[in-house]
Amino acid sequence: MTEVQYISIGGRSDYLVGLKDLVRGLSKVNLWWAFAVDEVQQRYRRSKLGLAWIVVSYVIFVAAISIFFGGFSVKGVSDFTAHVAVNYAFFAFLIATVTDGCAVFRSNKTWVGSMPLPHSIYVLKSVARALFVLGINMAVGIFVLLATGHLRTSVSWLAVPAFFVVLFNSLLIQTYLGYLTARFRDVEHLMVSLTRVLFFMTPILWVRAEQPVGSLRRTLADLNPFTHAMEIFSAPMLGHMPDPSSWQVMGILTGVNILLMMGASYLAHRRLPYWL
Amino acid sequence: MTFPVRGRVAKELDQQAASRMIWDEEGRLRGVRAIDDVSFSLRRGNRMAIIGENGSGKTTLLQVLAGIMAPETGRLAIRGRITNLININLGTQPEATGHQNITFRGLAAGYKHAEIEEKRQEIAEFSELGEFLDMPIETYSAGMRMRLVFSIATAFTPEILILDEWLSAGDLSFKEKATRRMNEFVEKAGILILASHSRKLILDNCETALWMEQGRVRAMGPVLEIVDAYEDAQKQKKSPPPPALRLAVSH
Repeated sequence: MTEVQYISIGGRSDYLVGLKDLVRGLSKVNLWWAFAVDEVQQRYRRSKLGLAWIVVSYVIFVAAISIFFGGFSVKGVSDFTAHVAVNYAFFAFLIATVTDGCAVFRSNKTWVGSMPLPHSIYVLKSVARALFVLGINMAVGIFVLLATGHLRTSVSWLAVPAFFVVLFNSLLIQTYLGYLTARFRDVEHLMVSLTRVLFFMTPILWVRAEQPVGSLRRTLADLNPFTHAMEIFSAPMLGHMPDPSSWQVMGILTGVNILLMMGASYLAHRRLPYWL
Repeated sequence: MTFPVRGRVAKELDQQAASRMIWDEEGRLRGVRAIDDVSFSLRRGNRMAIIGENGSGKTTLLQVLAGIMAPETGRLAIRGRITNLININLGTQPEATGHQNITFRGLAAGYKHAEIEEKRQEIAEFSELGEFLDMPIETYSAGMRMRLVFSIATAFTPEILILDEWLSAGDLSFKEKATRRMNEFVEKAGILILASHSRKLILDNCETALWMEQGRVRAMGPVLEIVDAYEDAQKQKKSPPPPALRLAVSH
């Protein structure tokens, strides 16, 4: 006789439900990977260039920004291009974390409502999809870095741990934003409004170090968590040592995100199918 | 296999019976008691039908049994691999082809790629979809979609099969084929739970029946007895027919 596969007892979830769900989801890598690949293909199906569109659109963006806004920075055009090419690719991933995170359960409601799969499946799928786009955009970014001679292996390897820290946070944030949006649909609209502003508040088109300390832009950038996520990753990519305070901020944010994710899962895990 | 359920599921959807609405002190609607005080257990080889009017809690009960919704109070224990076919439109990727959906559902049910490939041929044959399996399933008719999903679900030999109404979307020959397959499956000592309004489908497939009324169990017992009692109650309840609509055609 098979062992008990599924037991549900009425009442409350346990406090670790979010982490357990994540572990169960990670083990179903076949499933979320297949979903992610399908979604990426879906978006470009029946187009002649297909996935190459991601590269084309990114090259157009970086070129246009460098030409129009190159004068904003005291850096030379080649420095500014490298700055934009790396930063925007990474920023797009951060934004995707927020906007896709809001939709992560809502857009999968037919699956949530039909199979008792771990909820983290949908989060992992969503992050994998954003990662795929990041990979392609970052390839363009790295190409620009090589062409402009910014990549310095002695410093640039620091981007690797930074990347994993951000990736882990992305999983956490998507999970709790997904639950929050499932319950309060307004969250999604709020996040769209905020991300639009964040594009200007995050040093992508301008360089934080060039703004005087205490100035409005500098202060806003320092308060913006995106700035710190970007600093620990992009600074080493561009051949600078990252600001240690940004690592500290990211450490604290990771702790906060773990707690938020566990809290949201505890409150929302068993109710999600009703809310969708 | 034991299957006790004591569910009390509040659903934030409106349903007819006012007695099932849950209001808070300030008079706001807080929920609907979709199922309440339902207990039963099923063992290997049991085939149970769930009958009842629309909104009586049949589908919610199936969703609880399938592990999709967690009961607010009560206990549900399941031994065995469950496959549920509760809503035909759920759990597919409409823009993906039939073949891709075979892969998705197989993976979602926990099978490996190699195991899915082994079953692919059988699914294609049973569903009789042929070339259509290379087309996106959003182009399928309801009947075609049902065939595909039913074929996938039963190809992977579940131990517990949960089916909702929509099996009736199939044509007569497919229904017979599906009935044969369900019988084979139950002979292999599985559990079948089927919610339906179709007398024939129920009598062909089930041995016991559970009659749901307003989220509670009205009666439970041998299938013929319960179905007859249910149908008698339905006839008596029938309100006088609405005034006939007249379609006037003038030349």
